[in-house]
Amino acid sequence: MSVFDGFKFRSISSPIHQLDPRAKFVYVCVLFAVAIMFNNIIPLLILFLIQIPIVFMAKVQKEWMRSMKGSAVFAIMIFAVNLLSLYFYAGHETFTSILERSLAMTVRFIVLVQSFSIFFLTTSPDMLGLALEQSGVPYELCFAFTTAVRFVPVLAEEAQTIIDAQKSRGLEIESGNFLRRIRNYIPILIPLIVNAIRRSLELAETMESRAWGACENRTNLYVLKIKTNDLLLILFSLLLLTVSIYVSIHVYIPPLTSLLM
Amino acid sequence: MAIIEAEELTYTYPVGEKPAFRDVNLKIEEGEFVIITGPSGCGKTTLCRCFNGLIPHFYGGKLEGEIRVCGLNVKEHPTYEIAQHVGMVFQNPENQLFALSVEKDVAFGLENLGVPRKEIRKRIDWALKITGTYNLKNRPPYELSGGQQQRAAIASVLAMNPDVMVLDEPTSFLDPVGAEKIFEVIGRLNREMSMTIILVEHMLDLVSRYADRIIVMHDGRIMMNGDPREVLVSEEARLVGIGIPKATMLYKILKHRGISLNRPPLYSEEACQVIREALSR
Repeated sequence: MSVFDGFKFRSISSPIHQLDPRAKFVYVCVLFAVAIMFNNIIPLLILFLIQIPIVFMAKVQKEWMRSMKGSAVFAIMIFAVNLLSLYFYAGHETFTSILERSLAMTVRFIVLVQSFSIFFLTTSPDMLGLALEQSGVPYELCFAFTTAVRFVPVLAEEAQTIIDAQKSRGLEIESGNFLRRIRNYIPILIPLIVNAIRRSLELAETMESRAWGACENRTNLYVLKIKTNDLLLILFSLLLLTVSIYVSIHVYIPPLTSLLM
Repeated sequence: MAIIEAEELTYTYPVGEKPAFRDVNLKIEEGEFVIITGPSGCGKTTLCRCFNGLIPHFYGGKLEGEIRVCGLNVKEHPTYEIAQHVGMVFQNPENQLFALSVEKDVAFGLENLGVPRKEIRKRIDWALKITGTYNLKNRPPYELSGGQQQRAAIASVLAMNPDVMVLDEPTSFLDPVGAEKIFEVIGRLNREMSMTIILVEHMLDLVSRYADRIIVMHDGRIMMNGDPREVLVSEEARLVGIGIPKATMLYKILKHRGISLNRPPLYSEEACQVIREALSR
């Protein structure tokens, strides 16, 4: 189990999983834009909280927690860097406001990770490919995309086999300094790449044998249709965007500390 | 008319110096179950690639002589056209499935042909049921066992409803139980739908009972071509080193010791039967 499991699609049935990838993409884009618009902690915290019911609706709490835990290290790093740089370069601010601004940057990062995680946890790569295709991206590219995703677990497994095989022949991977360690990976990369090329040739053969390129307008087993829920999500995203733009221009957002005191 | 017809066929790979096979004359009739066997490197796989046009269109190289499949001259028709008549199943099941669900994979060929969606759904269900993979419909391929993957691959070829199915060592990555299931499926396709089957295989123990004919290749040439029993008991077949079924070996040993059975058996149940017959005589 690794951090990446916090982003890997799980096939579960939930209202969020059934949403059109395009609608979800709009939502993610809006969240990104809004998160970057503000650098006060209150709106960013609100963004973070808005997404929690979505996580629970999608029944991906466990995987989501994993992505959160995985990003904790980076979050702490961002916090520390912000804190230090603000402390040394922004002399006239009080320590509490520095603290709050660093926290805000950290929450912004977490919001970005969170929305990414929700998107990829609930969108099957097949559907994503389909969404690309229906948005006018050439079919060859979409096919390359879904096939690449399909072979990630296969290649990961193969890499593990090669690592084990080379280790059993006496290759030491985790020894030496930084450069040495990179060099250690060469005996693993070469067979991996050679195998991948061989695999791609076999795939091409199979595709040819299944009438690849037989006709101009190929059909597709699935079609994406924008349904009511998708429209609602898009509407909500647009509303969020307009409200945010209005607030960021016209409303003064007090710092959290002044509210608490 | 024969469904596959090759005359004086010789092929050299672009990188090869000597031909992978030469002067192949071959006729395969509709509804036949043919096994092609022979030691590795004898040109079996290369020959199969000619049956659906991967050679010469995908591989290049030099193809001399004549080959016609379902009345189409392979040299003149592109692979996707011949692929509608000849389905190909390859060795490694993993590299034949590229979608993220079995259903989508089975649909792939039909999508390429522009078949309407409703028809695709019907054919998917049909192909999955025949190959016994209906329950795997929504599973991603990498979660399946090798045998299940290979049956899914057969289903995706079957869905295109080909006249001939060519299987190139479909069981070499599988365990014996998985292999047996594959052979059962292939046997059923041949018997119940009278589909023409060309199977490249080493494990003759499990499969020769289904075959109408066995072709032995050696060093780029067809060495023997005939009835399974005749081929498998022959001395040449033993010398080439093909995997003669244990039951047939037993027949030969007994014959050598002066005990002759009614006919050479191909699998153990049949061996039991002929031995019983011999004992009761």
